[in-house]
Amino acid sequence: MKKINYFFKGFFLIEFVAAFILAMKYFFRPKATINYPFEKGALSPRFRGEHALRRYPNGEERCIGCKLCEAVCPAQAITIEVGPRHDDGTRRTTRYDIDMVKCIYCGYCQEACPVDAIVEGPNFEFATETREELFYDKAKLLSNGDRWEHAISKNIEKDSSYR
Amino acid sequence: MQDTKLIIDEKEYMVNSELTVIQALEDIGIEIPRFCFHEKLSIAGNCRMCLIEVVGAPKPAASCHLGVRDLRPGPNGEPPKINTKSQVAKKAQKGAMEFLLANHPLDCPICDQGGECDLQDQAMKYGTDKTRFSENKRAVENKDIGPLVKTVMTRCIHCTRCVRFSTEVAGVSELGATGRGEDMEITTYLEKAMDSELQGNVIDLCPVGALTSKPYEFKARSWELTKTESIDVMDGLGANIRIDSKGSEVMRILPRFNDDINEEWISDKARFIWDGLKAQRLDRPYIRINNKLREVSWSEAIDAVIEKVNETAPQKIGCISGDMSTAEEMYSMKKLMDNIGSGNYDCRQDSSKLSIDYGRASYIFNPTVNGIEEADGIVIIGSNPRIESPVLNARIRKRWLTGNLKVSLIGEESDLTYPYNFIGNNPNLINDAKKIGLDGCKKIIWLVGESVISRDDGLPILSKVVEHALNSGSISDDWNGLSILHTAASRVAGLDIGFVPSVDSLSAGDMSNGGETDLLFLLGADEIEISKGTYVVYVGSHGDIGANRADIILPGSCYTEKNGFYVNTEGRLQEINRAVFPPGKAKDDWSILKLISDKLNKPLDFIDIHSLRKIMFHDCPNLLSFQLVDDQYHVNLKKLASTKGVILDNSLDIKIKDFYMTNPIARASKVMANCSIQKSKKQ
Amino acid sequence: MTDIFYTYLLPTAIIAGKSLFLIVLLLVSVAFLLLADRKIWAAVQMRKGPNVVGAFGLLQSFADLLKFVLKETIIPSGADKVVFLLAPLVTTVLAISAWVVIPFDNNLVLADINIGVLYILAISSLGVYGIIMGGWASNSKYPFLGALRSAAQMVSYEVSIGFVIITVVLLAGSLNLTDIVNSQSGDLGMLNWYCFGLFPMFVIFFISALAETNRPPFDLPEAESELVAGFMVEYSATPYLMFMLGEYVSIVLMCSFGSILFLGGWLAPFPFLDFIPGFIWFALKTCLLFFMFAMVKAIVPRYRYDQLMRLGWKVFLPLSLLMVVLTSSYLVLINHFSNNL
Repeated sequence: MKKINYFFKGFFLIEFVAAFILAMKYFFRPKATINYPFEKGALSPRFRGEHALRRYPNGEERCIGCKLCEAVCPAQAITIEVGPRHDDGTRRTTRYDIDMVKCIYCGYCQEACPVDAIVEGPNFEFATETREELFYDKAKLLSNGDRWEHAISKNIEKDSSYR
Repeated sequence: MQDTKLIIDEKEYMVNSELTVIQALEDIGIEIPRFCFHEKLSIAGNCRMCLIEVVGAPKPAASCHLGVRDLRPGPNGEPPKINTKSQVAKKAQKGAMEFLLANHPLDCPICDQGGECDLQDQAMKYGTDKTRFSENKRAVENKDIGPLVKTVMTRCIHCTRCVRFSTEVAGVSELGATGRGEDMEITTYLEKAMDSELQGNVIDLCPVGALTSKPYEFKARSWELTKTESIDVMDGLGANIRIDSKGSEVMRILPRFNDDINEEWISDKARFIWDGLKAQRLDRPYIRINNKLREVSWSEAIDAVIEKVNETAPQKIGCISGDMSTAEEMYSMKKLMDNIGSGNYDCRQDSSKLSIDYGRASYIFNPTVNGIEEADGIVIIGSNPRIESPVLNARIRKRWLTGNLKVSLIGEESDLTYPYNFIGNNPNLINDAKKIGLDGCKKIIWLVGESVISRDDGLPILSKVVEHALNSGSISDDWNGLSILHTAASRVAGLDIGFVPSVDSLSAGDMSNGGETDLLFLLGADEIEISKGTYVVYVGSHGDIGANRADIILPGSCYTEKNGFYVNTEGRLQEINRAVFPPGKAKDDWSILKLISDKLNKPLDFIDIHSLRKIMFHDCPNLLSFQLVDDQYHVNLKKLASTKGVILDNSLDIKIKDFYMTNPIARASKVMANCSIQKSKKQ
Repeated sequence: MTDIFYTYLLPTAIIAGKSLFLIVLLLVSVAFLLLADRKIWAAVQMRKGPNVVGAFGLLQSFADLLKFVLKETIIPSGADKVVFLLAPLVTTVLAISAWVVIPFDNNLVLADINIGVLYILAISSLGVYGIIMGGWASNSKYPFLGALRSAAQMVSYEVSIGFVIITVVLLAGSLNLTDIVNSQSGDLGMLNWYCFGLFPMFVIFFISALAETNRPPFDLPEAESELVAGFMVEYSATPYLMFMLGEYVSIVLMCSFGSILFLGGWLAPFPFLDFIPGFIWFALKTCLLFFMFAMVKAIVPRYRYDQLMRLGWKVFLPLSLLMVVLTSSYLVLINHFSNNL
C-alpha cells in the first residue's frame, strides 16, 4: 500500500505541486532583504567594524602606547612602536599599524584599551581595491577616529550602562 | 647551621635557624610577598608587605626581619607556629597593599615597569580591587639623577632598596630619603647625578616603576622581548647577562644571577652598552681604493685578501686579536696563521707581558671571585678595580663590610668605595715587603692590574709580586693569592689557546711598529695604532680605530650576534649566545676565517661551530679547566719569581682613563658618551 | 543585372534582414528573460534580486554583458585553443539557428519548411557537441567530467523527447510546425490543445526539456557545488558569455517549442480573444513556460546522477513509448471507425 501510495505521489507530481504552491506563497511575501547600498540595517552600539584611534575633545590623541592591544590581539594584527614624544616627552606611539587583513574583529583591542583610544567603529564599508590599502597606519586610524568620532562616542555612551 | 622545627600552615618543617622567616619560607617553597626585602641588601622592614601570623604573638609580624631563632615555642614546648595563609595574615597583607596603593598612581599603561612590576603582580595576587582612599593622591617631583636612570618619583613606595644598594653595595651614599610619612622622598639630596658605575642596578631593584632605564624609555614591553642568556664582555669578569631583544634589535641587557661571579649586579657599561650595538656598524665589506673605502661584495673582498696573502711572504704576515674576540675566533685565526705558515699572532694588543711559559696560574685570577670573601688581606698593585671591574670591586667591598680585611694599594690613588692603606705610587715600593704591611694575614690576594703588566717592566714587577706571595705563604696548596685582573674579556682564552707568538715570531708591539709585517690581520683589535706601510685587513663589527686604518674591512659580528666561548679572568669558561643576527652582510667571524682558508686552499679542518669547538677543546684543554691549574704550578710560579729584571721608577698609571670608553662598542654608544661627558664635567 | 538583383541579391538581403531582426529580438528578450529568471528565483527566496542597474534592475543583463565583454579572456595554457574558442561559438550558433523554423504567428516564420520538427530535433542534438568540445578542450578534469555527464544526459533525454514529439506529430499528421499549431485550432479554444489530450506527454516533455537544456534540477554538467561549473570551469569573459547565451537561447527555444507543440502556439485560448494578435499569445505562452522553468529551478533540488539516468531510461522512455503505442492505436481505431461509418 505504501509503495502504491508512493508511486502515485511520484506519478502525479504531488510533491512538486505542493512545493510550487508553497513557493508561490513566498513569492508574494514581503522581502527579507533590504536595498543594501541605499538602505542599511540597524547596527548595535557594540558593532565591531573598522578600527579607529580616538582623540580627546581637546585634540590630544588618546593612545599612550601601552601595547596592551598588541599583546591581547589573537591574530597578532597590531604592531606598535613607542617612544617619548619629542616636544613633551610623553609616551606616544611612533607607529601604530593594524593589518586589517589579519584582523578577526574580535574586539579584544578595544576591551584592553585603558583609555578607549582604539575602538572598532560602526563603519563596515571599507573595502579597498588593493591589499596594501588594508594595512592601516597611525595616520589612517587617527583620521578614521576623527571621521567617526560622533558615532563612536554615541555608541560608547549607549553601551556604557551595560559595563 | 642548625635546624629547627617549625609548624608552618599546620605542617611541620625543619628549617635553618640562622635564616629569617621569609628566607626559611622561601627555602620551603612558600612565597611571601615583599617589596623592601632583598637577599643581597640589609633588612629594612618598611614595606610591611611580608606580614605573617605568628601564633601567640599579639599582632602580625614582618617575616623579613623576624629570625627563625626569635620564634618562641608554644606553652607546652611544641614547635613555634606561624601561618602564612590564615585570615590574619591575608588581611594584614591586603591592608599593607591597600596602603601602598593609596598613593601609587594608576599609570601602569605608560609605565615601563608594567608587565614586570612587583607591585602590579602582587596587587593582582594579594590586593583588593577597590580602594577606600578617596583623597587626592600625592604627587612627587621627578629627580634628575643622570643619563641612565629615569625617575618617576610619584610611583615610589619607599622600599629604600635603592638607598640601601647605593650605600651598601655601590659604596657611594648618593641616594637617601628626606621627609617623613607622606612627605618622604627618595632623592640625591642636592639634585646631582648619580656617580656610581653600578647605578643601573637600582633599576632592577626598584619593585615599581619609580626608577627605570632612561635609554630604554618606552622602547619595549617585557612580554614582547626574546630573552637570551649570555655573558658580558665589557671587562674581564664575564658577568652573566640576559640579552632582551625584539626582532633584530637588542632592546636592553639585564644581569643574570650567578653567585660565583656577579651575584646579581652588572656594571653600567654592561647594561647600557646596547645602543652602541646599533651604531657605527660595519655591515658590508669594504676595500680601500685610492685612499677611500669602497663597498664591495664578499667575494671581491675575500679575493683581495687571498691575493694579498699569496703575494706576501708568510713570515711577513701577522695577526693581532682584540679584546672581545671569542675563543673560537682566536682559535680559527691561529689555525689559519699556522696553515699560512706564520707564527706572528698575538692576543695582547696592549703589549701585556703575560706569557704562557709559566703555566696557567701565572695569568689568571687564582683566588676566584668567591675567594675574595675568604681573603683577609688584599694588595692592589697598579689597578683600580672600581674602573676595571666595578662588580668585582663591589665584591671586595662586600668582603670589607664584614670586617677584618686589610687592603693596601700601590699605584694611583682613587676612591675605591672602601678605605685602604695607600703605600705609594711607585713600582719599586714592591721591593719592600715590610712596607706593604700585611703581617698576620693568611689569605692574601695579590691583585695585579693590567696596567702593570703592560708596562715594559711588567714581568719583573710580576715576578717580584710572585716572590712576595710565595714568601708570605699566600701561594699554598689551599690558597693561591696571585690574581691578575684582566680588563679584556678575550685575554685569558687567548692565552689558553696559545694565541701568542713563539720566541722567533713577532709580538703585537713589533707588528704595529711597521716594517716587520706587510700584511696584518686585525681580529677586532681597536686599541692599537698600526703604523703606515702595512696592509691591514680588519675583521670586526664596529667602525673604530681598526676599521679606520684598514685597507680591507670584513664585517663581523658583536657579542650579541654570535655563539662563542669566553674565559673570564678567573679562568672560567662561559658561553655567549646569539640574541640577534648581525646587520647587513656581516657574518660570524670564524666563518669569515673559514672562508679565507678555503679560498687559500689551506682549509681549516672544521665545517661548523660544533666541529670547531670539538677540535678547539681537544687542542686547548686549558679552556675547560676552571681553576684546575696543573700540579706544577708551584714550580712554574717559582720559576717566574726567579726571573730577575729591572723595575723602572716611573709611577704606576692606570691605563683606562675613561670607564665608559674602553672598547669600540662603548665608543659607538651615545649613552656611554653622555655618561663620559657627565663624568668629566664633575671632575 | 536587374535579374540578378531581383532573383538573388534582394531575397538574400531580405532574409539577412529578417534573420538579423530575429536575432536582435531574441537576444533582447533573452536579456530580459535572464533577469526574470533571477528575479523569480530571488522572489521565492524572499530576496529582492538585482535591482540597481536601471529601474528595478531592468538593465542588469546589459551591465553583465558589458562586464563579460570587457573582461580578459583567459585561455588555459594546456587548452586546445581552436576547439576551446570554437565550442561556445558552436553552442550559441546552433541554439540561435534552431529559431528559423519557429512560427511566431500564422505565416510569421523565417523558414516554413515542412520538416520543422525534425530540423529542431537535429539542431538541438548538435548542441551537445559544443559542450563536449568545451569540456575536452579545457584539458582539465572538472570540465571533462561535466562534459561527459552532459553528453550522457542529453542523449538519454533526447530519446524520450523524440517519442513525445512523435505522439504530437501522429495527432497533427505533419512535421511542419505551422501545421501542428493549426491542427490545435477549433471551436473549443484551448481545450483543443494537445496539453490536455496528451497531458502526461506534456509533463514528460517539460521535464525532458529541463534536462535537455541543463536546467536545474538536471544541471549536473554545471553542478556548482561539486564540479564548480562543469564544462565552463575554464571559461571566462566573452566565451563564457557565449555559453550562457547559448544555454538561455535554447531554453527559450524549448519554451516556445513546447508552446507550439502543446499550448497551441499563437492561438488564443478562447475564440473571443482572437482580436489579440497571435504573436502576443505566443509570447505569453512562452513566458508562462519560462516561468515554470524558473520556478522549478527555485523549488526542486538537484538530482543525483544515477537518479537522473533512472528517470530518463526507466520512467520516461517506457512511458512515452506506451503513449506512442496508445496514440497510434487510438488513431488506427478512429480511422477504422470513420472508414466504416
